Amino acid sequence: MAAVPHSVLTAAGAPPAVPLAARRRLPGAPYAYLAPLLVLLGLFTFWPLLHTVWLSLVRWNLNPDVAMQFEGLGNYRRLFESTLFNDAARNTAWYVLAAIPLKVLLPIPFAVGVWSLGRAGQVYRTILFLPTLISFVVMAVVFLWILNPIGGLAVQAGAAVGLVVGNPLGAPASAFWTIMGLATWKILGFNVLLYLAGLARIGNDHILAMRLDGANDWQMLRHLIWPLLTPTTFFVLVTTTIFAIQQVFTPIDILTHGGPFNATTNLFYMVYQYTFRTFDVGLGAAGTVLILVLLGGITAFKLRVLDRYVHYQQ
Amino acid sequence: MSFQIHLRKLLSASALSLGLSATSAASAATPPATPATPTTITFYHYQTGKNYESFRRLLNEFEQRNADVRVRDIFAQSEQITAELQAALASGRQVDIGTVIGKNIIHFLNNTPAVALNAEPAKAKFLDQYLPVFLDLGRVGNKVYAVPHAYGTPMIYFNKDLFRKAGLNPEQPPRTWDEMIQASLVITQKTGVMGMGHLRAAMRDYGAMLMVTNAGGQYLSGDGRCALFDSPQGVAGIQLWQDLVVKYKVMPLAEDRQMQAAFNAGRLAMYITSSASLGGTVADTTGKFELGVANYPLFKDGMKRKTPNSGAALMMYSPAGERRNAALRLLAYLADRKIANRWSRESGYMPLSKDPLADPDMARYVKGFPLVQPVIAQMADTVPTATWGEKGALEAQTIVSNLMDALWANQGPATRLVPEAVARMNAAMACSKR
Repeated sequence: MAAVPHSVLTAAGAPPAVPLAARRRLPGAPYAYLAPLLVLLGLFTFWPLLHTVWLSLVRWNLNPDVAMQFEGLGNYRRLFESTLFNDAARNTAWYVLAAIPLKVLLPIPFAVGVWSLGRAGQVYRTILFLPTLISFVVMAVVFLWILNPIGGLAVQAGAAVGLVVGNPLGAPASAFWTIMGLATWKILGFNVLLYLAGLARIGNDHILAMRLDGANDWQMLRHLIWPLLTPTTFFVLVTTTIFAIQQVFTPIDILTHGGPFNATTNLFYMVYQYTFRTFDVGLGAAGTVLILVLLGGITAFKLRVLDRYVHYQQ
Repeated sequence: MSFQIHLRKLLSASALSLGLSATSAASAATPPATPATPTTITFYHYQTGKNYESFRRLLNEFEQRNADVRVRDIFAQSEQITAELQAALASGRQVDIGTVIGKNIIHFLNNTPAVALNAEPAKAKFLDQYLPVFLDLGRVGNKVYAVPHAYGTPMIYFNKDLFRKAGLNPEQPPRTWDEMIQASLVITQKTGVMGMGHLRAAMRDYGAMLMVTNAGGQYLSGDGRCALFDSPQGVAGIQLWQDLVVKYKVMPLAEDRQMQAAFNAGRLAMYITSSASLGGTVADTTGKFELGVANYPLFKDGMKRKTPNSGAALMMYSPAGERRNAALRLLAYLADRKIANRWSRESGYMPLSKDPLADPDMARYVKGFPLVQPVIAQMADTVPTATWGEKGALEAQTIVSNLMDALWANQGPATRLVPEAVARMNAAMACSKR
């Protein structure tokens, strides 16, 4: 129980009685303060969520003049029977798994490197952050030119050093990793910035104390920087993995359309295709609900399991 | 009651513009008196850059001649236009005229409240100006729901300089696929430049349809619910596309935009893409090399060329009354031969009217710009693009895409892979009428 400040105790040592009128006002007051936020959340988050669940149970094509037909779990059954869904679900798992080393862990050495340079690191910070500022559409179109197998920049550069650069978007594995690499490059600088914010919280006194105790760089990283960076790492992990699915939408749409052999599609892109390419709203909504369940599961796992390893206090 | 009100509105609006809306020429010639509040209609489109400037100029001129109408154009990217239009209709936003990609017309016919353009025959005379085959795509029985607007037809664009370097006559471009392959092999051997590219379009769907149709096969059934290209002709068409990549190695695997960029840079000798790209290709290649344009290759010598149109049509959604009258007047204006020809000249899209060269302006233009002559000649070979039904369309299109990937990866011949793919497509689309 939280201690009551001494100044508000009465002479008898008991908390002062709250006036009756004030007590009557109190129960409703928090809700009144919260109401604007609750209304906004309800309108723009929870109602769409519930409506999406409803749409996943009907057959409809977005036409307001066409009645919805209740399908029950039929849309989910159709989805599970679809090869496209199976491929999209498998790729989604890969996009999330690959995001951990590439988008969550890789920025750490970059951030530590920039941080250790002090003020001189600001130039590198800017360079690393630049891709974040460029429109993903522009970036994808530029890479389409760079990777052009018919005399594109990559082909020419490869030829100059005796390498044969084929068509990275033409084979399943290389197409997937091209999309993944592009998405990593795009977000690397942003996550480096988050880690730098986390590193800024590490006080000089800790570092000096360890230095006095004779700690080397590795020991500093292992026993000081990493533990104190875990809250930031946890935050980056949660947000990046959630974002990993939708972040690759643009390069998929511009570079590969989900191919070759469905190797680059994911659940997010599949939902878009069902809903807005063929107007199968029921399947699109069912896919959305499954994404919600997947992301909810991942987040719950992180909060329940991984949160134990986070050091919130310095 | 509501019907009576609509009828009254319709009659009063019709009285105002009856003679004007019957034909575009009449409407263009005699502007009505300016009412206090003009009727505003919306036009969803995907025109950008110079095409948009030309498109908007036409709308402005229509407004000048029809002072009682304002046209609000609403842009969406060509790849997003279907979704944007569908979303606008779903949310009840005002849609009077919408640009609909050809292959989605059946979906829009079945699922959106499109209005038959010839519901009132007196106001539908403008339809007679179009080449009849261009109206087939939007025809259901006696009703016409879509008119052509931004149609293209696949053409061979070729680099005349590379032809000369390879010792080929650029004034005699390839006529058949056999000649295409031979020319490609010679060019690559003599110049080191890749021979040819062929557009795929999204999901490789249009490219596959084109190969099948030109080989004499049928891609989809009329209602779009059955795949039919496992016929000998269909298999032969698809096999040809595999052979170009795997057997003859004359076609690199690249995305459409990559092939267009390579051709414009002189790194690809021939590229088959829509006639709609003509203006842009001329602009991008001027000063680099001499451009040639030829008709789509015949599948075999002696066979008739069959090229499904690419591009988009216009559909109308205006409720009965002033807006519908205004929309019909605009469609009639756009159908007028002189206006349609001007749109074709400025945008690069195919001419749409019967006998476009009967228009002296068009005849003069074609004489001065011979690259467009093959496009006009190919109008006679144009057939309606195949349109997809609703159920399982995405799965089926994905199967086509994966089929082409498998063929290009040399996982088997078309004789084996095509029937398997067609069977899976028909299962996905619940086809039961073959």
